[in-house]
Amino acid sequence: MTYYRILFGLLLLVASLSSHAALRVVTTTQDLAAIAEAVGGEQVKVESLTPGTRDPHFASAKPSMIRQVFRADLLLVIGADMEIGWLPPLLQSARNGKVQPGNPGYLDLSTGVPLLGQVSGPIDRSMGDVHAKGNPHYWLDPRNGVRMAEAIASRLSELDPAHEGEYRGRLADFKQTMASRLPHWSADLAALKGQPVIAYHKSLIYLADAFEFNIVDEVEPKPGIAPSAASLSALVARIRSDEIGLLLMEPHYERRSARYLNEQTGIGIAVLPQSVGATPEIVTYFDLFDAIVAALTSAGGA
Amino acid sequence: MDYFNLCKKQLVAVACGLLLAPGVLFADDETEALRQQLLELKQQMQQMQQHYEGQIGAMEQRLQGVEVASQRQAEQAAQAASQPVAPSLSSKIAGVSNFQIGLSGLFAAGGSSADNGELAGLQGGGHDPNKNGFTVQNVELSMGGTVDPHLDAQANLIFQIDEEGETVVELEEAFFTTRSLPWGLQVKGGQYFTEFGRQNVQHPHTWAFADQPVVLSRFLGGDGLRSQGARVAWLMPTEWYSELYFGAQNAKGETVTSFLGEEGEDIGGHTLMARESRNFSDLLYSARWLNGFDLSETVSMNLGASALWGPNATGTDTNTQIYGADLYVKWQSATAQRGFPFASWQTEILERRYEAGDVNDPTHEKLDDWGMFTQAVWGFKPGWTAGLRLDYASASGDTATDPLRDTRKRLSPNLTWYPSEYSKVRLQYNHDWIQHLPDKSADALWLQVEFNLGSHAAHVF
Repeated sequence: MTYYRILFGLLLLVASLSSHAALRVVTTTQDLAAIAEAVGGEQVKVESLTPGTRDPHFASAKPSMIRQVFRADLLLVIGADMEIGWLPPLLQSARNGKVQPGNPGYLDLSTGVPLLGQVSGPIDRSMGDVHAKGNPHYWLDPRNGVRMAEAIASRLSELDPAHEGEYRGRLADFKQTMASRLPHWSADLAALKGQPVIAYHKSLIYLADAFEFNIVDEVEPKPGIAPSAASLSALVARIRSDEIGLLLMEPHYERRSARYLNEQTGIGIAVLPQSVGATPEIVTYFDLFDAIVAALTSAGGA
Repeated sequence: MDYFNLCKKQLVAVACGLLLAPGVLFADDETEALRQQLLELKQQMQQMQQHYEGQIGAMEQRLQGVEVASQRQAEQAAQAASQPVAPSLSSKIAGVSNFQIGLSGLFAAGGSSADNGELAGLQGGGHDPNKNGFTVQNVELSMGGTVDPHLDAQANLIFQIDEEGETVVELEEAFFTTRSLPWGLQVKGGQYFTEFGRQNVQHPHTWAFADQPVVLSRFLGGDGLRSQGARVAWLMPTEWYSELYFGAQNAKGETVTSFLGEEGEDIGGHTLMARESRNFSDLLYSARWLNGFDLSETVSMNLGASALWGPNATGTDTNTQIYGADLYVKWQSATAQRGFPFASWQTEILERRYEAGDVNDPTHEKLDDWGMFTQAVWGFKPGWTAGLRLDYASASGDTATDPLRDTRKRLSPNLTWYPSEYSKVRLQYNHDWIQHLPDKSADALWLQVEFNLGSHAAHVF
């Protein structure tokens, strides 16, 4: 009897070891990594190419990334030209057919969310860094987080049908957590509803859409173009005349312009983490919104 | 060549004869036949017209289908977001093909204490500012994209204006690379920059300085070392990034300095003869081992070693070897905005062993040259970088009067402003210590302006 037990135990061990051939998921940002981890659980091994502390537009394709993408089973990207500056040469160097666009190992999450800020009509680069396909900062709307989790769960199920049940189960948990947290965040930010605010870069429109406040202007005169003395003084006039009380910015932007605007007008400044990993405490996608809501409420926005 | 021309003339004559003959000889009988032919042609045209009209109709139907589908998608998306989203047909088509096209222009203005004749020897790079006044350094048309699931391809055309004001067009590069060979292999073929060291494969508009390092101009040529050939690269199954390259390219031509080169050129007093490749042993072979490490979250490093072997044209049986080592270290702040602040340090050391003249030639000698450059770039605030480069090059023997082999030192500080990702303005000062000029030194100041149109320039590590 004990022999059978030992044999059975060994069999279980072997089975559990072999089932640990986890899918290697590589993501371009830590937000994608956090959602992939939440949905993929122990069936996946997730690595993010860029840290959440950096501006994800401007990564450079480090040699270590070539190895990461070369070994990946699934590559998750933000898309909408977010990674246009560094992902194409990286994909070419990594020579991994599985994760080339068009194959099941490549998932562009921007295809599954409604993109805001799509530009119709002629555009050129004199308008600054305009993303014609739409604004790529869509992960800052928690409702899009659910859409992203759904897309990731479907793709994981497709690549690894044996664990579809687990992926679907974790997706349901993710949705449930979101359903319970979202009303609290909205309630905490109720005072901000309908208020005019200023953002540093055109990256917070999804957040504004989710929590129903109005971004009336940006510190950058054009996307990606640094503010000048003239553009700042025009902004001072606007803040005063429109009685704008809050300036939102991500931590990787320079603070001098914000300090100047604060000195001139007394406008409140909320430095919002834009990504999972922006600070060490932000580990999950839900942590990100906890931190954003906390920063907004403490800056006097609510 | 003569034989070929003769053939061409004969062909032209025969073709003319064939065309004229029916008209001249059979003019009377031809009228009926011609009418018959015209009738046939007319029928064929009608058939073609019907055929194409049918096809166009089918395409229109398909396009309408796509439009309807995209409208439906848009409606769904709008319902989901209560925000109108209408992916246009053109954006859908553009999404299928990633064919990218870009035009980059690089211009310089400035002057040197050396005159224009002397500057040609000081600024040895083909894209260097080399005139007191204005230089069109590089106008480059780049095209590339994905061919199919197996290949990517790229071509770069260079437009330059020479001393006579004539426009020169060069097929700088045109090559394919494989996308998904097994075992980490990748093959590249066509006309391309040899993967030797770090800077040789980089195009002038991505350089951190206004001109080419002295040692690269001397060993790899003013245009950089490039030729027709193929190479295979192997991404090795190591824990760190490690890649081996091995390639073979034609050894002849003006862009293969140090090897068969161009007849009539001169190196160390030896004139290159009209030596052609005879067999596989007369190709240029190259090898490179490149490693990459992350030293920390913010510091990464590349370490490479490269070698070149090939024939040279100072004799019938003479060879050249070039060896190089390269180091690149980059720090980028953990909270970088637009990639700034960062600091980078790049160093390359090269040695060339050049057997000049056959063994039984009375002028037979072995030329041994070496050189290096080391450069640091500090991106101190978004859009701004400051750089400092030190060049050194030297050679065996009495070389004091040879502009390509004398002992040369150059110190180059510069300051660059990037108003956006697509343009830059750079001011660079060069101080040279030179043996071959009577003044033994030269000072130059160059102002460089660059623009990039079209597809997004990639940020390479």
